[in-house]
Amino acid sequence: MSWMHRHLLDVDALSRPEMELLLDQAVHMEDLLDRPIKKVPALRGKLVVNLFFEPSTRTRVSFELAEKFLGADVVNWAASGSSTSKGETLRDTAWTLEAMGADAVVVRHGMPGVPWYLREKLRKASVFNAGDGAHAHPTQALLDVYTVWKHCNRSLDGLRVAIVGDVLHSRVVRSDVQAFRLLGAEVVLAGPRTLMPLETDALGAVYEPDPVKAVEGADAVYLLRIQKERALEGLYPTDDEYHRRWGADEELMARAKKGAFVMHPGPINRGVEIASAVADGPNSLILDQVRSGVAVRMALLYLCMGGMEA
Amino acid sequence: MSTERMERCCGGEVPLLLKGGRIFDGERFLDGVTDVLLEDGRVRALGKDLPSPEGAKELQLAGLLVCPGFIDLHGHFRDPGQTWCEDLVSGSLAAAAGGYAVAVAMPNTLPPLDNDALVRDVIERGRRAGGARILPAGCVSKERKGEEMAELAAMADAGAVFFTDDGAPVLRARLLRNALLYTKDLGVRVLEHPEEKDLTKSAQVTEGRCSALSGMRGFPISAEVLGVLRALVLARETNCAVHLTHVSTAAALEAIRAAKADGVEVTCDVTPHHLVLSEEDVLRSNLHAAFKVNPPLRSTADRDALWRGIADGTVDAIATDHAPWHEDEKDLPFQEANFGIASYECAVGAVLDYRRNAEPEVPLERLLALWTSRPGALLPRSAAFPGRLAEGLPAHVTVVDPESAFRVDPALWRSKARITPYKGRHFTGRPVLTVVAGKIVFSALEGGAVRV
Amino acid sequence: MTWQEKARVQTAQEMDRSLRRMAHEIVERNKGLDGVVLVGIQRRGVPLAERIAKLLEKFEGMLPPQGKLDITLYRDDLSLRYPQPLLRGTDVPFDLSGRKVVLVDDVLYTGRTVRAALDALMDLGRPASVQLAVLVDRGHRELPIHADYVGKNLPTSHAEVVEVRVAEIDGADEIWICEKVEEQA
Repeated sequence: MSWMHRHLLDVDALSRPEMELLLDQAVHMEDLLDRPIKKVPALRGKLVVNLFFEPSTRTRVSFELAEKFLGADVVNWAASGSSTSKGETLRDTAWTLEAMGADAVVVRHGMPGVPWYLREKLRKASVFNAGDGAHAHPTQALLDVYTVWKHCNRSLDGLRVAIVGDVLHSRVVRSDVQAFRLLGAEVVLAGPRTLMPLETDALGAVYEPDPVKAVEGADAVYLLRIQKERALEGLYPTDDEYHRRWGADEELMARAKKGAFVMHPGPINRGVEIASAVADGPNSLILDQVRSGVAVRMALLYLCMGGMEA
Repeated sequence: MSTERMERCCGGEVPLLLKGGRIFDGERFLDGVTDVLLEDGRVRALGKDLPSPEGAKELQLAGLLVCPGFIDLHGHFRDPGQTWCEDLVSGSLAAAAGGYAVAVAMPNTLPPLDNDALVRDVIERGRRAGGARILPAGCVSKERKGEEMAELAAMADAGAVFFTDDGAPVLRARLLRNALLYTKDLGVRVLEHPEEKDLTKSAQVTEGRCSALSGMRGFPISAEVLGVLRALVLARETNCAVHLTHVSTAAALEAIRAAKADGVEVTCDVTPHHLVLSEEDVLRSNLHAAFKVNPPLRSTADRDALWRGIADGTVDAIATDHAPWHEDEKDLPFQEANFGIASYECAVGAVLDYRRNAEPEVPLERLLALWTSRPGALLPRSAAFPGRLAEGLPAHVTVVDPESAFRVDPALWRSKARITPYKGRHFTGRPVLTVVAGKIVFSALEGGAVRV
Repeated sequence: MTWQEKARVQTAQEMDRSLRRMAHEIVERNKGLDGVVLVGIQRRGVPLAERIAKLLEKFEGMLPPQGKLDITLYRDDLSLRYPQPLLRGTDVPFDLSGRKVVLVDDVLYTGRTVRAALDALMDLGRPASVQLAVLVDRGHRELPIHADYVGKNLPTSHAEVVEVRVAEIDGADEIWICEKVEEQA
């Protein structure tokens, strides 16, 4: 089978064979990361613009490395988050990018739907969603499943994944549930009810109010970041209380399957959603996720940015 | 024959004989009646094989539905103040092209319509526009701020047909209560936008699947229900009538149904988009701002409940809430765009089409009444739009072709709006002739046959 | 576009004889196998390299190191192709520096694949020399590339394609010439 996508906006757009193809290609890209010379000329002459309306070092750097290792020319464009403040409208930004000859735009924005909006406005460039509001973060989901898939003999069928944290405001969880389910895993959500949408089944996962039960028998436990603002909004009382009840410490992790993986999209809040001992422990895939991120993004960029249709 | 040419020979002075159609009088189809004669701005006669008076223009309307001129209780004309989005002329022509003989203009303009001079101005300029008649609603509160009562009696005298603070609920309960009492004897109702605003801060889409999947904040169902309950309780206590506009949820409709059964003087309308679209359309469109509206598109269960409300008589009218915006305000990411769906020129078609495909249980008469006699009953008598066809009544007529198919193309619209969620969709059923006071203000007929 | 078999130009036995001769030539040219490594170009160069390696082991008593080279990311036609060709993976588990690399491929045609392979090799290390072994040389070079070891020279036209089939991938060892067939409207 061949890869026919030119954009990646959402995990939903992929079929299971397509996702498995992408993961397989990511393995080969990861091999490149071990070499002294990591750069290949596959995207030589292509211009990729990283259009980040929300500050993000981690995701942007990961994309930037992927782009540079593939030999592309890279421009980082940090823009303001709202068109109502001084500066260009998003529509004008899109046309400017086109005029500049961008072959691809990697976009992160605080508002959902922006990557689709850009794709509609851009005629030539490939669009990659690096996170839109609390809606989707497909490349994070892909690197997450890839990391687990590698460690589980390339199969996630029947795996049980527990995702713990602020589901309500998380784009990571929405995409991760889609990706894990697509590969045959089952997902359980845990966290304070104030940080859950009312309709969790719309997301495709079951909510378990008891965090211990949620983690029980899990093959992987995925922790979401808690942002300080949520305490200020009164959604939970203190970081201490959050950590005591929902934080991944050794006691909670003991309830998961022996050797269960620990994952986190980063950056981690030590002592809040995860204890240091667990984050740095032998089952933690957190650093592997970072490395996977570059490989997966390389595979994605390579596959999507072919030439014009023959 | 073009609208312009028809106007020259049918400018109200020439009698108009509509022959061969199926006549709907506002409540039911009339058996054995196929012809309507309009003369001197009045319905001169209804019958079969009516003779054509000297100089009359005849239109052959076989297979078409001849109805009282449709009434829209809720439209936004952006005039005065935001006329780059729409103005009284473009809005009036758009409404006429959508089959409406009369449209009620909401007062959330700049400045808001909170005094009799502005009301008179809108009526006068609307009349000259040459399309649908425009009847303004006046604000309940001064400057639409929700604090002090505006001069309601003066506005009623000037011709205002409703009082409302729409796009917002009346802010203070005390003001709403006073307004209900004060207007009871003016013959002009209060039209309330039901929304508990404290629950909807930063909300973008409906709470439910749409908020869960999009990650955007949702309008809780409770926000609409609480707004409705507040109005119902006050209406009951003061023994006054209240009209609730753009009801969108099953729960709110149920509260209205119960109150009606209990004798409360409450009426309500629903929008075409809440009857035809749902939160699934928002998701399927990848969060396209054309689908952003307040109240938001709701669940499919809510949509089905609205149709049940039509079937059992709970719903009194279908009102468009036509909300035109310029591309600069709408061609944006969802969260940045203004709320509102523009739809005058396809709203009737969208609803007829939906009923045709999905709701054949709803009798056509019941549906047509929601555009005619039932909203007509809510306008003050002095407005002279009873929504009925009978001898002696004003000559307002809308003719519908239930079989005519069309594609929605906003580039061809008379409205200034170009962004709509219906763009590119095909509907079967649409208005093909609109007559106001005996004068043809819109025609899609070509010598009797429907022009595509 | 479809291809139709036109003529079989080598049987399994003939292929085997070509590989044996090439293996002898490799030993002769390099005066033994000291420092010699074989790198097969994905896809069919890989099993061919393995066979040559086994033959070398038979002749000289030592098995030279073998690697697999995926040149996809170095192709010069990536921006002209859609969808993108898929990666098969590079696996060169030894140091190239100072070695005599023998690149192995099934067919040498325009030379562009070999050009890409040279770039890929150079990013892996600094060999002392690079030689090229191909089972078939079909002519029509577009770059100044030449093979040091050739199994068979096969003149062809642009309308033809040379298919080397190997048991490990195709189930049988054969070399066919195929020609383009116009699709019926």
